[in-house]
Amino acid sequence: MKKFALPLLALILTLTLFTACGGSGGGTIKIGLQGPMTGDYAYEGKGFENAVKMLVEQTNAAGGINGKKVELIVEDDAGDPTQSALVAQRLVDAKVIAVIGAYNSTATEPASAIYNEAGILHITPSSTAVRLTTKGYPRFFRVCFLDDRQGLFAAKFMQQVMGAKNIGILHDNSTYAQGLAEETKKYAEEMGLTIGFYDAINPDDQDFTPILTKIGAANLDAVFFTGYHSQAGLLLKQSKELGLNIKWVGGNAANNPVMVEIAGLGAARGMYVITEPLPKDLNYAEAKQFVADYKAKYGEEPASVWTIMAGEAFNVIRYAIEQTKSTDPKVLAEYLHNTMKNVNGLTGPILGWDEKGDRRGTIHVAYVIDDKGNFVLNSVQPTP
Amino acid sequence: MQFIQQLINGVTIGSFYALVALGYTMVYGVLKMINFAHGDLFMWGAYLGLTGMTLLVGWATQGSAWMIAPVAILVILVVALTGVLVERVAYRPLRSAGRLAPIISALGVAFILESLARNLYGAKWQTYPSGVTPSGGLMLSGGVRIGIMQIAVLIASFVLMGALYLFVQRTRLGMAMRAVSLDANVSRLMGVDVDRIISVVFLIGPGLGGAAGLIVALYYGSFDFTLGWTFGLKAFIAAILGGIGNIPGAMLGGMLLGVVETLASGYISPQWKDVIAYIVLILILLFRPTGLLGERIAEKV
Repeated sequence: MKKFALPLLALILTLTLFTACGGSGGGTIKIGLQGPMTGDYAYEGKGFENAVKMLVEQTNAAGGINGKKVELIVEDDAGDPTQSALVAQRLVDAKVIAVIGAYNSTATEPASAIYNEAGILHITPSSTAVRLTTKGYPRFFRVCFLDDRQGLFAAKFMQQVMGAKNIGILHDNSTYAQGLAEETKKYAEEMGLTIGFYDAINPDDQDFTPILTKIGAANLDAVFFTGYHSQAGLLLKQSKELGLNIKWVGGNAANNPVMVEIAGLGAARGMYVITEPLPKDLNYAEAKQFVADYKAKYGEEPASVWTIMAGEAFNVIRYAIEQTKSTDPKVLAEYLHNTMKNVNGLTGPILGWDEKGDRRGTIHVAYVIDDKGNFVLNSVQPTP
Repeated sequence: MQFIQQLINGVTIGSFYALVALGYTMVYGVLKMINFAHGDLFMWGAYLGLTGMTLLVGWATQGSAWMIAPVAILVILVVALTGVLVERVAYRPLRSAGRLAPIISALGVAFILESLARNLYGAKWQTYPSGVTPSGGLMLSGGVRIGIMQIAVLIASFVLMGALYLFVQRTRLGMAMRAVSLDANVSRLMGVDVDRIISVVFLIGPGLGGAAGLIVALYYGSFDFTLGWTFGLKAFIAAILGGIGNIPGAMLGGMLLGVVETLASGYISPQWKDVIAYIVLILILLFRPTGLLGERIAEKV
């Protein structure tokens, strides 16, 4: 009897291992989510988790994807690159086929290298740093849009909605604002707009009357300020005091009620602000359903656009698995690159991805400041 | 016409620099010491004004221009007394300790005042309640415009500067100040109470600075805790430019700096404004090391 014991044990062990493998590989689809559940961005990380959990529950309640249940594994990277590499390795070891995350570009960067190595599909809902998609990772995608799309949208808005021919662009010499100003200038010139004024302010200044007097004399149809809200407020206030009728457009860094406070209601009224929409302002049936479900489940509307973007990332993965009937990350990535086009997403039509993995189109919208000083969606938007 | 408008803009900024520069120049004239805390005393004028205005507007439920008067008196008093206190605590004990110690002590006071404002009021931008400052302005020919606030600011600045000039030139206390600034020891022998004169200087300089802080905050409507640094540095340069220790010099230096900066921003670019302004400053100092209206030190020796 004794001499059979070892082979028997081996047989039992092998059988157990096989069933274990078969159980996880065949029964469920494992999807990872990494984000900052603690730390400075914990609010955004919680939004990620809430959004994706809700959609996974809905999917499973409806029978899963192609009959298989989805198993979600959530990991906390605290927004930190070192922590991010650790949790990425953990998700790889858990044999996920796809990962949603991370929130900030700093955390997404090290994780994307690990997922690329492991051959996993990786979609970030919110990391906009340009260099992330320049590394030639074939299975890395974004559902958010690069900063340059804001410039493209701003140029279109000034041309199509404001009817501008001669525009001005003003930045504040910060990396972000200067980059946006340069992108906007590039797109505006391609569209045939004249850049009648292009300059920068010094954000430490309190008095902008010299540059405003110059802008006022340049007879521009619109002026795009790409800097931050405090300077935007001072610019609005001082241009009104100089009696100038400048048609101001602000970028998403001006999207802050403090700007209206600094400028005063009379000076801020009618200013346009180009920014990512609040989830409640997304005018698509899918978005409205998502916001309503979210509110019913968690008691409040999602306040951040990145929450709905995380949901978008999950829906993209689900849709790709449904369409390809495959859970092979390579097949899914090829589908996203080449075939998935013009699908209705949570954040508007998904036009597809370019060869680098950047989403085509844009999500930006134009708000206008109304008589009460609130930011309301402008009734006219440029064509996408 | 744009040129005239830019000149008006420049003179407005220049009058702010001049008002703040007076505080640097008075202290230097009497003590031969640079009071680096002056910029932050000026900034406290803006914050105290904000508190006063907010309380008054809250009490009256609506902002109105008359509120500036009581708030101004309060601000000038509090900042002036703070100035005297700073001199007592941080400068007087160091008066015989050489040149370096009082400068470091002054920088220390500057950082303390700035951090206090940031910690008590928060780092965010502060805005004055609406309805306090009158808006509107005069349209001159050719699209040139002077705002009511610009006119008010210019008048207030010139009245304050003129009053100070007359005070120093025409009163006994002013004469004593001039005597101390020429030679403190001889003045003491002549029966001038030097400590009292220095206290008076630290009452008037910061008082004027507090008034300037209130005026600047009313004019721009919003500011943050770095206001003292931004204006303080420029005003200090204006004082040097005009000849530190010289009251009309501070006025001239402030106006000149404001106009040069404005023309550089308006006709070249705000990015080059400081480069141009400082080249002008260096050139003036190369030819007149004691500033435009500064005394010729060489003659004294």
